[in-house]
Amino acid sequence: MNRNLLGVAVVAAGLMATPTFAQGVDPKLPTYRAVSGVSGNLKSIGSDTLNNLMTLWTEGFRAAYPNVQIEIEGKGSSTAPPALIAGTSNFGPMSRPMRAAESDEFQKKFGYKPAVVRAAVDALAVYVHKDNPIRCLSLQQVDAIFSKARKGGGTKDLVRWGDVGLTGEWADKPISLYGRNSASGTYGYFKEVALFNGDYKDSVKEQPGSSTVVQGVASDKFAMGYSGVGYKTADVRSVPISAREGRTCFDATAENAYAGDYPISRFLYIYVNKNPNQAFEPVRAEFIRFIYSRQGQEAVVKDGYFPVTADLAAQDLKDLGITVGSGS
Amino acid sequence: MTTETLTAPSNAVAARRRRTFGSDVSASGEPAQWALGGALALGIVLIAGFLLLVFWNGVATFFPKPIVALTLTDGSTIAGPIRRSEEFRVPPNELASLPPPVQALIRDDGGMAERQLIQIGNFDLYNEDFRWVPSYLVAGASRPRDLVLMERLEWGPFVGRVKQVVEDGRPLADGDPLPTGLDAVHRKARDRWQQIRRIERGDIGVVNHDIDGIRLEVRRLELRHGPDHERVVAARRAAEPELARLRTQYDTLAAEARRLRQEDARTTITLADTGGREKSMRLSEITRFVPANDLSLLGALGVYFDRWGEFLADEPREANTEGGVMPAIFGTFVMTLMMVLVVAPFGVLTALYLREYARQGRIVAIVRISVNNLAGVPSIVYGVFGVGFFAYLVGGSIDQWFYAERLPSPTFGTGGILWASLTLALLTVPVVIVATEEALSAVPRSVREGSLACGASKWQTIKYIVLPRALPGIMTGLILAMARGAGEVAPLMLVGVVKLAPELPMDGFFPFIHLERSFMHLGFHIYDVGFQSRNSEAGKPMVFVTTMLLIGLIFVMNLAAIVIRNRLKRKFVGAQF
Repeated sequence: MNRNLLGVAVVAAGLMATPTFAQGVDPKLPTYRAVSGVSGNLKSIGSDTLNNLMTLWTEGFRAAYPNVQIEIEGKGSSTAPPALIAGTSNFGPMSRPMRAAESDEFQKKFGYKPAVVRAAVDALAVYVHKDNPIRCLSLQQVDAIFSKARKGGGTKDLVRWGDVGLTGEWADKPISLYGRNSASGTYGYFKEVALFNGDYKDSVKEQPGSSTVVQGVASDKFAMGYSGVGYKTADVRSVPISAREGRTCFDATAENAYAGDYPISRFLYIYVNKNPNQAFEPVRAEFIRFIYSRQGQEAVVKDGYFPVTADLAAQDLKDLGITVGSGS
Repeated sequence: MTTETLTAPSNAVAARRRRTFGSDVSASGEPAQWALGGALALGIVLIAGFLLLVFWNGVATFFPKPIVALTLTDGSTIAGPIRRSEEFRVPPNELASLPPPVQALIRDDGGMAERQLIQIGNFDLYNEDFRWVPSYLVAGASRPRDLVLMERLEWGPFVGRVKQVVEDGRPLADGDPLPTGLDAVHRKARDRWQQIRRIERGDIGVVNHDIDGIRLEVRRLELRHGPDHERVVAARRAAEPELARLRTQYDTLAAEARRLRQEDARTTITLADTGGREKSMRLSEITRFVPANDLSLLGALGVYFDRWGEFLADEPREANTEGGVMPAIFGTFVMTLMMVLVVAPFGVLTALYLREYARQGRIVAIVRISVNNLAGVPSIVYGVFGVGFFAYLVGGSIDQWFYAERLPSPTFGTGGILWASLTLALLTVPVVIVATEEALSAVPRSVREGSLACGASKWQTIKYIVLPRALPGIMTGLILAMARGAGEVAPLMLVGVVKLAPELPMDGFFPFIHLERSFMHLGFHIYDVGFQSRNSEAGKPMVFVTTMLLIGLIFVMNLAAIVIRNRLKRKFVGAQF
């Protein structure tokens, strides 16, 4: 499902002049301008991957509307749907798409599916210690390293660095694995795409946050872990990944994520409760418009993720029934 | 041994030999003394080591470090404070690409070389904030006086030079190293920025609060009488002029803020990194200039304390990695205080009944064991109970009865400072009960009997004789409970602590104390900055500083309680027999 959605992004990106994406946001995105009559309280409950990003958006949004109060709680993507269903939150940020069961539960209560905002693009990077000489890994190798099921078709369990071609002092050292806890959308998404839905090995050290994974890898020379690309520090290196054995490896960069070359990239979503027959109330509509503005997508870059394109933004805004640039 | 010596005097010599061999040591208790002393020493070393680690890392964080400019062998330059350095083994393929003399040098060192972690800043230009630089790639290092570290509202610090400052279209004259008069202009820009914030947060906040109040009043009537009832219509009509007045007020304030913003945008600064890449921004976006290479010790101390001031008094910025922790300090303090207010009467009354009134028997013993076991329940379990019982059940009901006009957004039906305090009170109540019971049982029987013999009733005896003497012990229990409560994080994450709370639980709006609001907490702040922030490298020093602050806060609260306890003790020392 995810890759299909990314396919849309690929098409959208293909229509654009790609080199403009180096670090900046799509210049076609509108600059956000405040409109009058926006006030109220908002609450967001959901993904911890999106926690910082939601905070940055909130800070930006509150600069435009000082009267709006926004509260953010981020304990994992799985906490978003129950909160939306119970009505305790207005936004449900998730780092994976809602499962059918969750969305059905929502529909049972309200009679319509939750609406979705594709707010940013994230690449899940496979991190190793900065001194690790490894150049390239295929998705099958990643699967055989992290999973005990090896559903990706790997023939051999990979446990030592020598098994993936390293020599010298590395060859006989076991690969020390770091990952996320099971409430996290990152955990679920990595399992779905990189592990082909196989189970994680028991030796994966489950961490409470994305940043903890990076810190674990930074302090453990023979470690490997996965996390959002935004959490990269100078102490770790992201390994280029190829979709299949023998193909070219691509690093986790914005260009490769847009082009679909980097195999573990995903959208970051914000789910909202929107009755298709009613218009949004101004405060939520404006928040979504802010996310899809230049300032909103600059915050995405600031947090280390990749911004979405203007075309995708326009598409999503149209689906949500929000007029583009009504305030400008 | 002694009996043996007494019964068999003829064997005295042998006995003495045995005695010196086996008994002397244990009798004088030397091994026990060593073990006890060793255990104490180990404890002290662990605690001192931990405190030293926290303070060593925390105290130095805000001190400005010199900015080093490095020219690399490929001709490029980078600059920034050095965070730390380490030895590493140079990878073979990288070694092969180096010029032969460098290779030989590294080989002489056993293949090892040094590298330094530079805080290069300028995240908006480079897309990274830290970089490791191996020493063999460095052609030259210097500390130019005109390099400045600028702390900004957004994007983290900028390391580079000030190219130009323009105030209202007029550029400032160049100075050494910063343009002349920059200080005054900068202060003016920051004041303006503060003023904008005051208007937006404070004045506009009041207007919005009033508008919201009117909306809720109408909604309440709607719920009671139905949407088309005459009273609702009348209320709506009555609210119209007031709303219109408030909206005009809002427009005036917003226009004033807009005007100030435009004025603010006319004072700009242009920065350049060491490579010459330029970046322009509003001067008010820079919070502090730190010309670290041009600072005297006094100047450096000024920056140091200024940063501390910001940390203690300001709100967090940039997803909590920068700015201050004032809301978290406040939240921790208020929550702990509320917890003590709840747990003190609750725990003391329970213990009083258990010790003074209840017939000591099997049931009381079971109750006592249960209380002791409660202390061993994992704190997260209390959190689950708190969110299920307090927030969802009690809070949900309160919402339906009293705050129906605000639904579906919950008022008390979600985590908040009241529920967090109650949950922590439950968590710490066993400590208070046990300590109070101990204190009550330590009051001598003779004192009670004396009081009863004088004709006092049981309650009079408890009130005037037992409780005052037990008070210091009870206070000790409260101190322990407070320390445990203030440091607890896990259950709070479920019952009301959030990453960013928009408002403090106390403010100038009626009823002034808002028990339903979620809050920020120092313990959670540590967890959040340390484990959840994007840039863990930049977050690490903040973790130590915040930890230091939390320890300090608990220390101060405990100290206050200890002082009170000692005063009480002294008061009763004279009254003892």
